[in-house]
Amino acid sequence: MRHAHLFGSLLAALACNVIAGPPPGTGTEEFGLNPKQLVEAVEKTEGLIAACMRAQGFEYIAADFNTVRRGMAADKSLPGMSEKQFVAKHGFGLATLYTGEAPQLAKGYNPARIGLGEQNVRVYTRLAPADQVAYNRALLGEHGGATFAVALEAEDFSGTGGCTHQAVAQVFQPAQLRAGYYNPKDALINKDPRMKAALARYASEMRSQGFSYAHPDEVEPDIRRRLAAISANGTLTPEQMSPAQRTALKDLQDYERRAAAKNFELTERLIDPVADKIEEEMFSRKAQ
Amino acid sequence: MEPRPPAEPAARSRQHRALAATLGGALGGAALAWFAAQHIESPADAAARTAPPKPSPILVPIEQRVLASTIVTRGTARFGLPQKIALAPSALKPSPGLVASLPQRNAAFDEGQVLMTVSGRPVFVLRGALPAYRDLQPGVAGEDVRQLQHALKRLGFDPGADDGHYDARTAAAVRRWYVAKQWEPFGPTREQLVALSAAERDWAEAYKASETARSAAGAAALAVDAAQAAADHGLRAAEAELAAKRAEAARWQAGGGATESMLDAERAKAAHADSAAAAEVATQTAERALVVLDPRQPESARAAADAKLQLAQAAARRTHVEGELALQAAQRDAQLAAGQIALAEASLRAARLDGQKAVQAALDAQRLAELESRLGAQRSARLASELAALQARIGVQVPADEIAFIPALPVRVEEVAVQVGASASGALLSVTDNQLAVDAALALDAAARVKPGMPVAIDEQDLGIQARGVIAEVAGTPGTRGADGYHVHVEVRVTESQARIEGHSLRLTIPVQSTGGAVLAVPLSALSLAADGRSHVQVPADGNGNTLRPVVVRPGLAADGYVEITPLDGTLAAGQLVAVGNRRPEKETP
Repeated sequence: MRHAHLFGSLLAALACNVIAGPPPGTGTEEFGLNPKQLVEAVEKTEGLIAACMRAQGFEYIAADFNTVRRGMAADKSLPGMSEKQFVAKHGFGLATLYTGEAPQLAKGYNPARIGLGEQNVRVYTRLAPADQVAYNRALLGEHGGATFAVALEAEDFSGTGGCTHQAVAQVFQPAQLRAGYYNPKDALINKDPRMKAALARYASEMRSQGFSYAHPDEVEPDIRRRLAAISANGTLTPEQMSPAQRTALKDLQDYERRAAAKNFELTERLIDPVADKIEEEMFSRKAQ
Repeated sequence: MEPRPPAEPAARSRQHRALAATLGGALGGAALAWFAAQHIESPADAAARTAPPKPSPILVPIEQRVLASTIVTRGTARFGLPQKIALAPSALKPSPGLVASLPQRNAAFDEGQVLMTVSGRPVFVLRGALPAYRDLQPGVAGEDVRQLQHALKRLGFDPGADDGHYDARTAAAVRRWYVAKQWEPFGPTREQLVALSAAERDWAEAYKASETARSAAGAAALAVDAAQAAADHGLRAAEAELAAKRAEAARWQAGGGATESMLDAERAKAAHADSAAAAEVATQTAERALVVLDPRQPESARAAADAKLQLAQAAARRTHVEGELALQAAQRDAQLAAGQIALAEASLRAARLDGQKAVQAALDAQRLAELESRLGAQRSARLASELAALQARIGVQVPADEIAFIPALPVRVEEVAVQVGASASGALLSVTDNQLAVDAALALDAAARVKPGMPVAIDEQDLGIQARGVIAEVAGTPGTRGADGYHVHVEVRVTESQARIEGHSLRLTIPVQSTGGAVLAVPLSALSLAADGRSHVQVPADGNGNTLRPVVVRPGLAADGYVEITPLDGTLAAGQLVAVGNRRPEKETP
């Protein structure tokens, strides 16, 4: 009887694996999309953002996929600097490179500006100051949320607002808009016992350094939250901050550098090899 | 499981194996059957599976709705156009004062209110297109004075005639206005009083000098008469002298003969005297010869003879000389008589000339005195006029830096450019009028469809703003008033607003075209173009909607994803279904 069950199970598993391929939502791109789906989602979202902005009376040119991709690739990246060097110097580039300016007006490192596209940046800079405020409120929401490219790169649409949020809500699933969303692929990987063991070691080593994080994906959102609290949701420039706020910002910058560097090191050493191994095992055989 | 007898283990094992084999075979057969059922299909099934799905039109009802084509843009609300307020320097004050108080931003000011204070003096807001550029004081006239008079009248202080002249009534109205606002009117300054005093003194001196000159002119006229009289007298005296000389000469000529005969007589007398003297010398010579030749004669006799001779010779020489002298005297007398007449004639001429000269000098002096008198009178009159002007200007006045003329009131303070204590020079404030307006920029094609007077819906959902307005102005050329070269500036005048909207970016929705009333409308996707170039919609031909038939329509205004239609063959009604597309299998979403 036992043999019969075993045989049947093996047969069924074989049949499923060979016929159905990988589970849906486990593509290699953000939110578990496959490349084609990602291109379609980006273009559809950008089109919806443009329509929403037009309805608000603003000119917005839907950014093409390559532009959004460049914005995503610009995250934690500066010319002539590897990601490791960037992290060592600027952490995640959140508090360390915070200026409080609208992304369109940023001069230096700013993935959001790149993801918006030069045409939209030019449109923005031509606006009157009051219109610039209204433009970003319409595009990013009341509290100056993340741009589409940045949110897509971070796989976190919970921080979006305005037309950007309206657009992603029409293109992506409701679950994908929630904070802490894991795409199916990452969720499967996280459930693997080997990954659980690696995360336990990660948490332990982070704790030994004074950081209370159980997963690498917790670090950046936490710093983002802290920065938002200090900067009144990004509405204050460092010059406009009180002395106490400026001190808190400086402390956060130091914290970000240390936490990001440790996170990067542990992720490279503990998490990535395990994740790569699991992913390889899970998706090595492609669907028909 | 029950224990079995040990004698039969081999047989049971065989039974088990047979059973397992049978079961395995059955399972394998079932699996293969299942697999085959899943993957083996008949050609008919395959054709049915791969055949296109039956068309399933998506039907939507025709709507009866008002269609309006709109242009949506953004703009920033403001109060009018900002204008800077700068105070003109007042000549009545030594230097620009210091700002003592300033208004708050957004504070509103109407006519007659104090906008700010400078060195303890007010700066009033008055309506007027011409800026205050000079001190307004009694005696001045112009359009700025007329503006002041109009303002005083509006404020209830009658300035008298509306003539643009700052007169006593205007000054009185200004006084009442200042007092009513509890400010001390700006009276004459110390400098003005000193100038008035100096003018009075100058006028008094000039008047005195003028009177003196007038007296001198009168005296000069008398002096001319005197000179004329003196000249006449001198002339008459000279003429008398000449006449006397001539008479005397005539008398002398008549009494003594002609001058030549007088000279001949004198010559004869001289010759006679010379002859007598020569005879005497000859006598004495002869007598001396007698004495000398006479040896008896003593030496003394000879000496006496010599002496007599010498005496005779001396007498002869004296007689000769006297004769000569007499002749010369006669000649001289003759010449003298002629000279005295010439002299008298010359005297006459001299007297005439002297008289003329004296009269001329007196006349010149008279003219000079009259000129001085005239100049003195003119200067006196001028100074009197200046004094009168100064006296007229001594009164209540309005310094240029105490008044700000603004074309339209009320205004609100847009920006305060200085701080309390700063010098009140240059631009101090900027104000705007109270009319809300929204500045927007439209693309060139959209701007061509927008005309002044069009209604505009103004809103900003995030701020809860709802307002209405009208297009006030569409710039004639792109690139003006902050718009770039590809956009045209449009000004929207806000006509109705429940909230404060100034400074906010607002959405402007401009309906540029409308159907006017409810019309038949279908989604744009329901409209298609036939090969003959006519537009049509597809309506169900039967009750279940599986077949469609075209209805030719004339499309009208398209807006909001809908298009107005007018059926050209057949009839269409609101609620009737039209096809907008075909159903397709659900597309995979992310």
